[in-house]
Amino acid sequence: MTSSHLGTRADPGSFRDPTNRVFHDGDQVLRGLDPQAARDWAALAASAFFAGLLAEGKVCGTAQVDPAVLPGWTAVLRHERIPFVSHPYEWSFGMLRDAALLHLEILRRALPAGFSTKDGSAYNLQWRGATPIFIDIGSFTPLTDGEPWAGYRQFCQTLLYPLLLQAHLGLDFQPWLRSRVDGIEPDQMRRLFRGARRLLPGVPTHVHLHGAMQRRHAGASSADVRAQLRSAGYSRELALATVRGLERLIRRLDHREESSHWVDYQRTCSYTAPDRVEKERFVETAVQAAGGPRLVLDLGANDGRYARIAARHAAVVVAVEQDPAVVDTLYRTLRAEGDQRILPLVMDLADPSPGGGWGGVERAGFTTRARADVVLALAVVHHLAIGRNVPLGQVVDQLLGCLRPNGRLVVEFVHPEDPMARRLLANKPDGIFPEYRRDVFERLLAARCRVERQRELPSGTRTLYQVVVGD
Amino acid sequence: MHLAYLDAGSGSLIVQAVVGGVAGAAVAAKLYWRRLVDRFRRQPTDRG
Repeated sequence: MTSSHLGTRADPGSFRDPTNRVFHDGDQVLRGLDPQAARDWAALAASAFFAGLLAEGKVCGTAQVDPAVLPGWTAVLRHERIPFVSHPYEWSFGMLRDAALLHLEILRRALPAGFSTKDGSAYNLQWRGATPIFIDIGSFTPLTDGEPWAGYRQFCQTLLYPLLLQAHLGLDFQPWLRSRVDGIEPDQMRRLFRGARRLLPGVPTHVHLHGAMQRRHAGASSADVRAQLRSAGYSRELALATVRGLERLIRRLDHREESSHWVDYQRTCSYTAPDRVEKERFVETAVQAAGGPRLVLDLGANDGRYARIAARHAAVVVAVEQDPAVVDTLYRTLRAEGDQRILPLVMDLADPSPGGGWGGVERAGFTTRARADVVLALAVVHHLAIGRNVPLGQVVDQLLGCLRPNGRLVVEFVHPEDPMARRLLANKPDGIFPEYRRDVFERLLAARCRVERQRELPSGTRTLYQVVVGD
Repeated sequence: MHLAYLDAGSGSLIVQAVVGGVAGAAVAAKLYWRRLVDRFRRQPTDRG
């Protein structure tokens, strides 16, 4: 079923469950429901547990609207708009863990009320700043007593297994999730957890037994197994016990980096106090000048100092940083503060998230999603141009490409004489970057946009620019 | 009856009984016992 209403666009990531589908109409997020999904929604909307989740902000704001807005669907819902859609492979360990715990909490509250969720995907969750929210309202379904959770396998593959990888083995989970839209298979996990590792919490059951059962019953139809489990006495209480067991396990899982280069960056980098004061003032003025921007992207956010300054004047700030440990520290601080404006994300600017899933568009790539009113690129240009050998003009193009028309870029150019630039240059052959000069950078900016303001920091080795791009 | 859009996986369904503690293990044992009994019951007719 589709909607051909003028101006509406089907979300490319919403097709797996044919009973409902998400559409975008301008800034509106709509969900079309078929007759079955409309009946399920009516039951859900009348339930007390769902009203509680809505009031607590744990599920995305949802209201039923006139079905005429999406022809061909029985009922239509309008959802709260998520200001910046992110993917689980852009989250830190603490983020994935909190997202998993929210999914389980929702299920734990749904089961006694006679509801379940059809799936258990990490993609069911999004963020309001550093606060997770469950967005897949179409996933709620009346519970058929005597049946285990249909989403368990998906929950393991996209949430539990990545957490086990990081907590038990210290492996960053992001590349695993990024390369497989359906997550990590139990068979792959079994190979990683051999020997004494078999006994680590959660591994004997959720990994080894799960994998063995999958192999053993690969030929059995899941409808037959459901019927057999029902007649053997599988109950709602057992389903709840499984959910509680998963919650206990995930609460026990933890992973904190002792230290990484970037965790200490703000402390060890070469800023003097006057430089920092001047830079903070410059950034704040630039964000203010944007007149209440809806979205600020802080690329290379480090400890989030400038993201926090931007958040004083912006609706939403997305703080992108490549070091998962730094992002995790920032996330935990923001989460403890109950932040709803700053979304920290893990991503390497020289290797941004590509499009993924079906047709390469089911999960949109970063450059498709990045349409900001203001982009902050502080102390990142030299890392890309010198550290990663990206031609300076392409660095500027990439940064400007993250802006909406009339958007502003605040960019810092670290002169080749700066100690940090010298340290990077010392790792490369002499004279390899003759174009890495302030005058070249300024020419590149002037050719592409209008420089509104610029200021050399007191130390004399860094310059800030505020530029605006045309339509 | 709701039709699930997702293949829950037969093994993933059964393992949930096992991880559900003692009561769950009892359900799993019952399921396997019944399967075993069914197999023996079916065999004579298969041969005949």
